[in-house]
Amino acid sequence: MIHQNPLTLVTPVKNGEHDNLDALLMKIRQEIIKGSPQDFENLNTIHYARWILLEPKDADGKLQSDVGVRLVFSSDYDGDEDEHLTDLSTKCARFIDDMYSCCEDYPPPARRSPESRKIYLSRWRVKESAFFAGAPGRTLRQIRQENELRNYIWNFIKSGSWNNKSVNEIHNSIKENVLATKKFEWAKEPVKIPGVRWLGMAFLGLILLVLLPFIIIWVLIINFFLEPRDKPLGLTPSQVDEAHIKKLEEYEDLENQNQFTQVLIMKPGKMRLITLQGLMLFAKALIKNLFVNGKLMGIPTIHFARWVMIDGQKRMLFFSNFDGSWQQYLGDFIDKSGWGLTGIWSNTQKFPKTKFLFAAGAYDEEHFLAWSRYFQIPTSVWYCAYPHLSIKNVINNTYIRNDLFKELNETEAQKFLKRF
Amino acid sequence: MELELSDIQGYVVRGYKYMMYSRYVMLTVTEPALAKKFIKTNVPDVTNVTHHPTTHCLNFAFTSLGLKSLGMSRENLDNFTREFREGMTTEHRQRLLGDFDSSAPGNWRWGGPNNEEVHILLMVFGANKEIAFNYADQLKQQYIVSGLKEVCCIDGQTLPYNKEHFGFRDGISQPTIKGTGRSGPPEHDINAGEFLMGYKNEYNVYPDTPVLATVQGDTTLLPFDASGTGKRDLGRNGSYMVMRQLQQDVDLYWNFMNEATKNEDGSVNIEASIKLAAQMMGRWPSGAPIVKFPGKDPGGISDDDDFLYMEHDPDGSKCPFGSHLRRTNPRDNFEDNGVKESLRLTRRHRIMRRARLYGDTYVGSPLNHSPDGEVGLVFTCFNADISRQFEFIQYTWANYPKFKQLYNDPDPICGVRENPAPGTEQNFTIPCSPVNRYVTGLKKFVHTKGGAYFFFPSITTINYLTTI
Repeated sequence: MIHQNPLTLVTPVKNGEHDNLDALLMKIRQEIIKGSPQDFENLNTIHYARWILLEPKDADGKLQSDVGVRLVFSSDYDGDEDEHLTDLSTKCARFIDDMYSCCEDYPPPARRSPESRKIYLSRWRVKESAFFAGAPGRTLRQIRQENELRNYIWNFIKSGSWNNKSVNEIHNSIKENVLATKKFEWAKEPVKIPGVRWLGMAFLGLILLVLLPFIIIWVLIINFFLEPRDKPLGLTPSQVDEAHIKKLEEYEDLENQNQFTQVLIMKPGKMRLITLQGLMLFAKALIKNLFVNGKLMGIPTIHFARWVMIDGQKRMLFFSNFDGSWQQYLGDFIDKSGWGLTGIWSNTQKFPKTKFLFAAGAYDEEHFLAWSRYFQIPTSVWYCAYPHLSIKNVINNTYIRNDLFKELNETEAQKFLKRF
Repeated sequence: MELELSDIQGYVVRGYKYMMYSRYVMLTVTEPALAKKFIKTNVPDVTNVTHHPTTHCLNFAFTSLGLKSLGMSRENLDNFTREFREGMTTEHRQRLLGDFDSSAPGNWRWGGPNNEEVHILLMVFGANKEIAFNYADQLKQQYIVSGLKEVCCIDGQTLPYNKEHFGFRDGISQPTIKGTGRSGPPEHDINAGEFLMGYKNEYNVYPDTPVLATVQGDTTLLPFDASGTGKRDLGRNGSYMVMRQLQQDVDLYWNFMNEATKNEDGSVNIEASIKLAAQMMGRWPSGAPIVKFPGKDPGGISDDDDFLYMEHDPDGSKCPFGSHLRRTNPRDNFEDNGVKESLRLTRRHRIMRRARLYGDTYVGSPLNHSPDGEVGLVFTCFNADISRQFEFIQYTWANYPKFKQLYNDPDPICGVRENPAPGTEQNFTIPCSPVNRYVTGLKKFVHTKGGAYFFFPSITTINYLTTI
């Protein structure tokens, strides 16, 4: 199985090049909105990509880093990192040159080569603390193929006449028809769909059980010694800076999917950092063992998400790609996993008042929504390879592919037909 | 929690069922001092929840431009929610609400960027035509000399049995507001804070409310805010009101149903046509829910609102997942949540609907679908959080074609795009055995002709506004 992986590059922008880079990014943004193909699309391995300009100042105007403005690139791609970097350096050379010549230390034209580009890009690589893929193991090629197959069968069902046919007869007709269609040759091979790893979960439970006394003490310390010192943002949604929200909304709801980019500042002290790292490990374990079928903490709309620590663990980036609107997404977060969200994010500054690390916090809906917007930053360029597919569609399509050539009993065949 | 019923304008809580006629007058303020005097004179006649007038009712609503025109300071206005302040016609909101093509705000009759500004809405109701319009005329005599200019006026009415122009009974399912003394089934009994500011909502917190930032007018009139910040509260006992004038293309609607279900010889199959229309709606023309009567309309007049989906129709074979009713109020079937969780979550996305019809008093059916002139309804709803309630329902549940497991299915009544992007399908999926049935190429039957977000203040706040 080919895995999807995240790449995050954080590169300082050359002094004086900020405006040029911004203009270039805006140009690319417009092209993508209009649907003009970009170089990197030819790789056929990138599910999502985004570029943001990371300011050294935070939302309050306080300086958080002395590096200056940085260009952050992120991609969700198929295969291994080395190959991905090679691809970018060779097949998207012009694109990379245009963008990174605005950044510090980029090789001058005479010294640009696939190798020098790759070395340059690798230099700015930052490791993710955690990474979530909604449909693990499904490559971009597979997602596209399976959607083509689904559309083909849908049309076949729609145009046929099925009166007095049993579900198994219909399933067989579809099978025969697809078999006769050369381009779906690949579909005969079923794919492995990851399931919950109960052994891993049991092991995780065991570890938690052993650690439980320590966790309880830890949470009590946070509740009695750290939380009283917290300073929540205290704004309601209507009080968040208007221009800021406008800028974010400008790039939202253009399609049925959206992006979310947050830059969070850690609360001071080792204890908060350790708490976050512990929870990241926990999240990683859950993502690997439990959240394997399109839901992150119960939220059924996320294609990819990642958490990345930067600036010597002083700040954290959170990126996600999701179906539907911001209001729905944030609402889902509160409704489905307010506690998990609170546990992780409350280690960052100005989060709504929490109790015992996991309680209150995000459940204070108005303040939480305002806080989310406050720490969200505009994404300069966002690319999605399949804006017309929801994560549920992607997963459903794989089930269709796998069940197509299986021998199904009556119930299963009916279930198969209901997938259309 | 006791509600201060005599301070709440009546229309949030009651639908004025016996007021068969209405006139909505949109006004623009030309001389604020006179306008305030006009309002002040009429405050005693404003209908509150405890009033039960038999002849006529009066309510006031204000746009953010209206509050500004009366002299509200920027700082005070800034504490109203952003949705209200920005209004319905920003580019982003246009995308959320799906107001494109001929429904684009640029083509609106009122409330759009090419129309005169709407500041104040006068909502006049009467038990019959004569009372309603006489009362409206009386008020007109006053406002035309009170620094107020009429921008637009829509006469509305309630058709017999509360039918709308497509031919269906409307407004059957409504939430009841806890504390108003009215009660309904527990799943419809919703915390007051979902509709009124100053009370706790379904998250058990106080909704965002416009508190006073700078001293202006007679602030002693205003109560302090419920969450205890010690600030004076303009929002308490008030609500936000969404209003959209929706034109209904009755001809296109029934032609579409007839065409999709016609007999082999091309003739209209009345029964099948009505059935398809009912599947798209989620109720039969009589109002009977199709989840309870999947075969055919039991006839008569039904107020039946006592139903859930999961027990009798988990796979949507009676009431399709894509139907207007099941999408916009999924009851116990919210996405793929369990029954209990669904019921809990659905409560956070309810609105109090009010509709008044305009145009020819016409009730459509498969063989009668040519009303005289334009017909439609003035859709009105109340909520405390426009973004989480009205806009969520319109975007996430109605317009969004990926609802549940669907691929290309917008709400067939109110979510279809007039000119979808090339290659985009708009379908309605009817779960059937052995294979689903698909109605393709949906047409837009409902067009937006105007709209605005209003503040629907308490009577105290209306009084206060006359002092700024």
